[in-house]
Amino acid sequence: MLVVLVLILLPLIGAGLTAWGRSDRVNHRVTLLVGIAHVVASLYCLISQQNPFPAGWWLAVDPLASFFLVILSHTFLLVSLYSPGFLKRMAGPEYEPSKRLFYPGLNFYLLANTLVLVVQQFALIWVVLELTTFSLVPLIFFYRSRESLEAVWKYLFLVSLGLIFLFVAVLFLGVSAQGAADYTGLVVSRMVSAAPQLNPFWLKASFIFALVGLSAKIGLAPMHPGDVDATSNAPAPVAALMAGSLRSTAVLVLLRFYQVVAPTKVQPFAQKLLIFAGLLSLAVAAVYIWRNRNYKRMLAYSSVEHLGIISVGLGIGGVALLGALLHLLFSSFGKAALFFMAGNIHRSYGSREVERITDLIRRLPWSALVWAIAFFYIVGTPPFGIFFSEVFVLKGMIHGGNWVSLCLFLALLMVSFIGMSRAVLRMLQMPEPGTSTLTVANPERLNLSHVLGLYAVAVSVPLALLQPAALFDCLHTILAGFGAKL
Amino acid sequence: MINVLTILFCLTLIYLACTTRLTAYVLILVLQGALVAGVHTLAFFGDFSWSHIVVAAAVLLVRTVIIPLFIIRIIRQLDLGHGDRTRRYHPGFLIQMSAIVVIAFLIANQLSGLASVSVIPLGAAIAGMAGGGLLIVRRRLLLAHVVGFLIIENGLFLLGIGVQAQMPWVIELAGLLDLFVLVFLMGIAINQLKSHFPEAERVELTTLQD
Repeated sequence: MLVVLVLILLPLIGAGLTAWGRSDRVNHRVTLLVGIAHVVASLYCLISQQNPFPAGWWLAVDPLASFFLVILSHTFLLVSLYSPGFLKRMAGPEYEPSKRLFYPGLNFYLLANTLVLVVQQFALIWVVLELTTFSLVPLIFFYRSRESLEAVWKYLFLVSLGLIFLFVAVLFLGVSAQGAADYTGLVVSRMVSAAPQLNPFWLKASFIFALVGLSAKIGLAPMHPGDVDATSNAPAPVAALMAGSLRSTAVLVLLRFYQVVAPTKVQPFAQKLLIFAGLLSLAVAAVYIWRNRNYKRMLAYSSVEHLGIISVGLGIGGVALLGALLHLLFSSFGKAALFFMAGNIHRSYGSREVERITDLIRRLPWSALVWAIAFFYIVGTPPFGIFFSEVFVLKGMIHGGNWVSLCLFLALLMVSFIGMSRAVLRMLQMPEPGTSTLTVANPERLNLSHVLGLYAVAVSVPLALLQPAALFDCLHTILAGFGAKL
Repeated sequence: MINVLTILFCLTLIYLACTTRLTAYVLILVLQGALVAGVHTLAFFGDFSWSHIVVAAAVLLVRTVIIPLFIIRIIRQLDLGHGDRTRRYHPGFLIQMSAIVVIAFLIANQLSGLASVSVIPLGAAIAGMAGGGLLIVRRRLLLAHVVGFLIIENGLFLLGIGVQAQMPWVIELAGLLDLFVLVFLMGIAINQLKSHFPEAERVELTTLQD
């Protein structure tokens, strides 16, 4: 039960203390302590595979929840380590109101996301998923500029519209269970047990609405614009949180619906839908990455691309499902590193336009190094983790004989890769007009953000190569739950 | 009686298409709030429990008093009292809304052949959700978007009755709380727009695009 207290009550206490506290240093320490305790509790859940709640309850830490808890808490810890440096740079009085809300917002975000992961009742999942949106509003609005206000408005509006679709999905799921299971239950485990008796018509309708509704939160096309605007206009640590953990949380909700669909005749339909949504997202991301001139928007579209890969992997099933889950974990590392470096670049150049970033290697040598490594990481270069997860997805497509999807998948990945390379290499190498010397007055020094970025990309290598038993046992249990065969 | 109330709900959608005044939109929200609270009470009349009374009272309070009062406050703060028209009246909106209502009932009728649903509440629910969406598309004032969102929410509430779904009452109350917080945040965002950019409540949000 101590684990439950740490996972749920500690972020709540953290939110309360940081809202009450006036010192940034104390608030940071409280948030960091909450983050460390959350990581320890999440790892304990992953390793022990014990659900501290009675079976059939509205709360549970099942293998799926424990895997996603690790992604959430790890990203949160990285962000809470990065945040003091970021807040120190935001020195003006105009940032004071935002700074007061920053740490309470982070803690509340952790609480809301943890609740989404451990709640097992579909209607309650909908309620707490709305809380994750509320928790992000003050964080996205940090700069209090017109762009951030527009981003907040669009995010709030589009995600809330998406959540209306999700509620329709929950209603239809309930209707599909009428006469088959304990209707008022709507508890995941009970619904999975009763899955073969569910009405296929309503179950199909429920899955369609769930996918469309959650697309706004996950960042899948065509509901991605709100998410892209918010991610690209939020401060670096918030963007890292959104790209690294919020989208995974929304994917988990989609997987909860998929858990119910998997043992039924509706599964092939759901798989086709997931593959279609994934390929559509890859296509949209490829087009916008290619023509984008704003590097933060490019990173936001890169997240759409990776969620597309994950969606395709979920739809293919089998070994591709393993690839999709690993991709969720590994892309969260890469996104944190990239957004941290994007924050450093933005601070130094005061612009998000690719064309205004010149001579990055000389001006910000450490940020340029991590930026370049993180770029190679995110495009799936070996030996980084994303390479292996993409190989698993490709392997699943080849095993399943999905040749058309495979060709489209590879072609779209190639377009995104070239589009991203053009921007990243230009930023790194384009000389600053009018300068010819090789020395820079105040070269950047190594700081914590670089260490965090390097750690984030490096940690995936041993995870992918050594395949730790605790992680892969958990993943195999999840795959078995979906009936996936490797 | 449920059918009468849901048909009245559809008439409010027609009225929505006829008017362009923000104060009339608020009146529509009050009417719809009262109608959905009435439908909820009647739907569970035979199966009396205190939880149903609590939910109906909360629906009535949040949807007919708290949220409309909050929107009226925003209208006053934004000084939209006199020229509160969202845009010029256009008969095309009325035709589109009427078509939505007719198509919604045809869809509900088709669905009744596939599953056990209440046709009239379901038709009204689909019309409400599509009508709210149409308002968001047709009107560019941000406050009109909030009203459109609330009309979709009202439609959603009727959908639960239409497909004969019954949520635990705690969830219904939590959903209402979510709705209130959401409208509250949207109101703050609109006020921020006004205070940061005085002309902004009438402009389109198009700074962020690819």
